[in-house]
Amino acid sequence: MTARDAFLASEFHATDTHLNWLEDEAVSILREVFGAFERPAILCSCGKDSLVVLHLAMKAAAPGKLPVPIVHIDTGHNFPEVIAFREALVARHGLKLIVGHLDDSIRRGTIRLAHPLESRNRHQTVTLLETIEANRFDAVVGGARRDEEKARAKERVFSHRDSFGQWQPRAQRPELWNLYNTQLAPNENFRVFPISNWTELDVWNYIARENIALPSIYYTHQRDVVERNGLLVPVTDITPPKEDETVITRDVRFRTVGDISCTCPVASTAANAQEVVLETIAATNSERGATRMDDRANDAAMERRKKEGYF
Amino acid sequence: MTTSSRPLRFITCGSVDDGKSTLIGRLLFDSKSLMLDQLDSLGRARGAQTRAGELDLSLVTDGLEAEREQGITIDVAYRYFATPKRKFIIADAPGHEQYTRNMVTGASKSDVAVILIDVTKLDFSGDTIELLPQTKRHSAIAGLLGIKHLVVAVNKMDAIDFDRAKFERVIAAFEAIASSLNLSNFTAVPISALKGDGVVAHTSNTVWFDGPSLLEALESIDLTAENSDSTRADETRSAHIAVQYVTRDAADGHRRWIMGDVADAALNVGDRIRVFPSGALAVVTAINTPRGSTSVAHVDEAVALGLDRQVDVARGDWIIAVRESPSVGAQLSTNRVTATLAWLDNAPLAPGRRLLARHGTRWLPARVSRITRRLDLQSAHWIDQSEGEDAAQTVVHANDIVEATIEFGSALPIADYEISALRGAVVLVDPGTHTTAAAAMVK
Repeated sequence: MTARDAFLASEFHATDTHLNWLEDEAVSILREVFGAFERPAILCSCGKDSLVVLHLAMKAAAPGKLPVPIVHIDTGHNFPEVIAFREALVARHGLKLIVGHLDDSIRRGTIRLAHPLESRNRHQTVTLLETIEANRFDAVVGGARRDEEKARAKERVFSHRDSFGQWQPRAQRPELWNLYNTQLAPNENFRVFPISNWTELDVWNYIARENIALPSIYYTHQRDVVERNGLLVPVTDITPPKEDETVITRDVRFRTVGDISCTCPVASTAANAQEVVLETIAATNSERGATRMDDRANDAAMERRKKEGYF
Repeated sequence: MTTSSRPLRFITCGSVDDGKSTLIGRLLFDSKSLMLDQLDSLGRARGAQTRAGELDLSLVTDGLEAEREQGITIDVAYRYFATPKRKFIIADAPGHEQYTRNMVTGASKSDVAVILIDVTKLDFSGDTIELLPQTKRHSAIAGLLGIKHLVVAVNKMDAIDFDRAKFERVIAAFEAIASSLNLSNFTAVPISALKGDGVVAHTSNTVWFDGPSLLEALESIDLTAENSDSTRADETRSAHIAVQYVTRDAADGHRRWIMGDVADAALNVGDRIRVFPSGALAVVTAINTPRGSTSVAHVDEAVALGLDRQVDVARGDWIIAVRESPSVGAQLSTNRVTATLAWLDNAPLAPGRRLLARHGTRWLPARVSRITRRLDLQSAHWIDQSEGEDAAQTVVHANDIVEATIEFGSALPIADYEISALRGAVVLVDPGTHTTAAAAMVK
C-alpha cells in the first residue's frame, strides 16, 4: 500500500473531527471580525473558497442574521454561470451585495488597460482598493489559504494593510495565541483569512460534508479548450484560440474560479464534491499550478501582487 | 490506528544552517505532500543549487523573494502535510537571533517544538559538550510558552558517521538544560535531513537506535491528556468564555445569543454562569456549536449561548461557570500581575511606558511598572535585577525576555498561564504605532 492509498483509506475516518477543529477556528475568527470592527465585509467571488467562508460566516452569525455585506469585485470577464449563481445566492439568503466593477475603474481612468483583451486579474487590486475606500471597510474577509502559494504561507490571519492597501511581509505584526491585534489607524484596514489553515482537500471535504452549493463549472462539463503550455485554456470571446492551436472539446472542471482570462480547467469527470475529493487526493499538481496563468509569470508573482494590495 | 482528533501543530526551531528547511522539505517530500509543479519550480527557482542531481529541498520553504535571494528565512511560514495517522500544521520559524519574536509567535499556537541541533557545530573534545546558545534560547522559549512536548532532532548525523557515542553525549547535554528549564518531556532522534535517515524511518545507518523516527515521534504524541475537559479540569477549573460578539435571534428579536470559544472546562446546558465584570448571574438554557444545538460544549468549541434571562453582556466581558466549590484561579480578579514578558517591538521598553493590553476580548490600558528578572539567553538562566539599578539598565530591547510587573487599567479574571493559556496570556500593543510590542505570560 502506498502512502497515498493508506491516506485515502484513512481519510474518511479522520475527516470529521479534523473538519470540526477547522470549523471552530474559522467561526471564532469570523466572530472576532463581527465583534471587533465597525464596518467589515466579506469578499465573495463565488469561488469555492469564498463560498466556504460565506457558509462559515452564516454559521458564525446564527441564529442571528449575517451582520456584514458581501463584496464582489467584478472584472467584467466572468463565467456567466458564476454571475447567475451569485444572484440566486443573494436572493436565497437575503444578503446585502456590493459589487465593485472593474469597468467603472476603467471609465474613471484609474485603470488603464494595455490592450482590450488583457488579463484583468492584476487590475482587480485597484477596484478592490477603491471599493474598500468608498465603503470605508475596516476589515475585509477573504478565502485565501496558506497552502495555495509560498507568499500566502507567510500571511497572518489578520493581515494589516496601510492606507494604500499594501502588505508589508517583513513588518508583519506577530500573531500570538488567538489574541489578534486588531488595532487600526484611520484609513488602514485588515484582510482577514478564516480558512488560512485549510488545505484544498479540507475545503472539498467540507463542501461535501456540508453540502455547500457551488457554481456548476466546478463539476464536470464539456468545454471547448486549447492546450497551451501544459494548461487547458478555455475558448471564450476574451480568450480566443491562437492561429496554430486546435480547439478540442473535453470533459473538464475548474479547480479555481477567477477572471476568465487567467483561469483554466482541468480534465475531470467528477460530478459532485465527493468525486472531487477523490480526484484531489490523487492529484499530482497543486491547485494554482494546474490552473492559474497569473502565478506562472515568475516565482514571486503572488508576493508582488500582494504587496500592491491584492488578496 | 485511530487518527487524532485534530491536527498536531508543531514548530521547528533552528536556522537554515542547521538544515531546518531541508528537514521540512524532507518531511513534505517523503510524505508525498509536494506536488509535481512545486518540485518543478524548485528546479526553476533562482539560486537553485542541486547537489549531484538531488533537489535542494530547503527551497520548498523559502517563501519571499528576499529570503530566496539572501538564503535566509524571515518570517513564520505555515505548512501542511498528512500521513495515514495524522494531519500536521508546521509553523516554520526562523532561528536567527533577531527573529526570536517569530519563534514566540509560532510557539504560541504549537503543541510540540522540534528543536534542531546541528551536530557538526558542537565541540566533542572536552568532557562535556556546550550546546549552542540558540538551542538554549529555543528550548527556553518553548518552555515559557508552555509547550508540553519537545522532539530533539540531532541533525547531520551523516557528517559524523552516525556516531552513537556522540549522539548520546548530545542528549546528555540537552538533558542538563532541559531540567534547568523545567522541560521534562522530550524525545531525541538522530537524523540526516539531507539523506533522509531517521526522518520518516530509520535506516541501516542508525540500527543502534531503538527509538522512533522523527515522524513516528510526532505521530505518536498524545494530545488527549491536555485537551480533556472532563478529568483534570473538573478539579481545578471551570468553563470560561471571553465574549466575542452578542447578536439577536433572527426569528425572535428579543432573544440574545452570546458568542465565544469555550476555555478551561466543558460547559453544560443548565450550568449557572456569572458575567464578569458586572457579576450578573444566569443559567445556560441553550448551546449551539457550528454543528448545531448541543447539551454540552467542549474546550475550544465556538459556541453561541442562550441564557434564561436578559443580562447586560458585551464584547470584552467574560462568561464564567459558577461552581459549587471554589476552583483554582476562577475567583482571581486583579489589576496587577507578575508575568514573563517576551519583548518583540524594535522600540525598547522604557519602564513606565503606557501600553494597550489585550486580555481575552478586552482592550485596556496597561503599564510595565517593574522589571524583576532577566533571562540570560546565552546560558538559559534567570538573573535578578537589583532594586537600585538605574533606568538605563532596566530598558528592555527587542527579543529580550524578562520577568516584570504589569498593571492594568481595571481588574481582570486572570490566571496563571500554566493553569489557563487563555486567561494567563496577554498581548501588549504600542498605543501610537499599534505594533505588537510583547507577549506576556502570567505567573
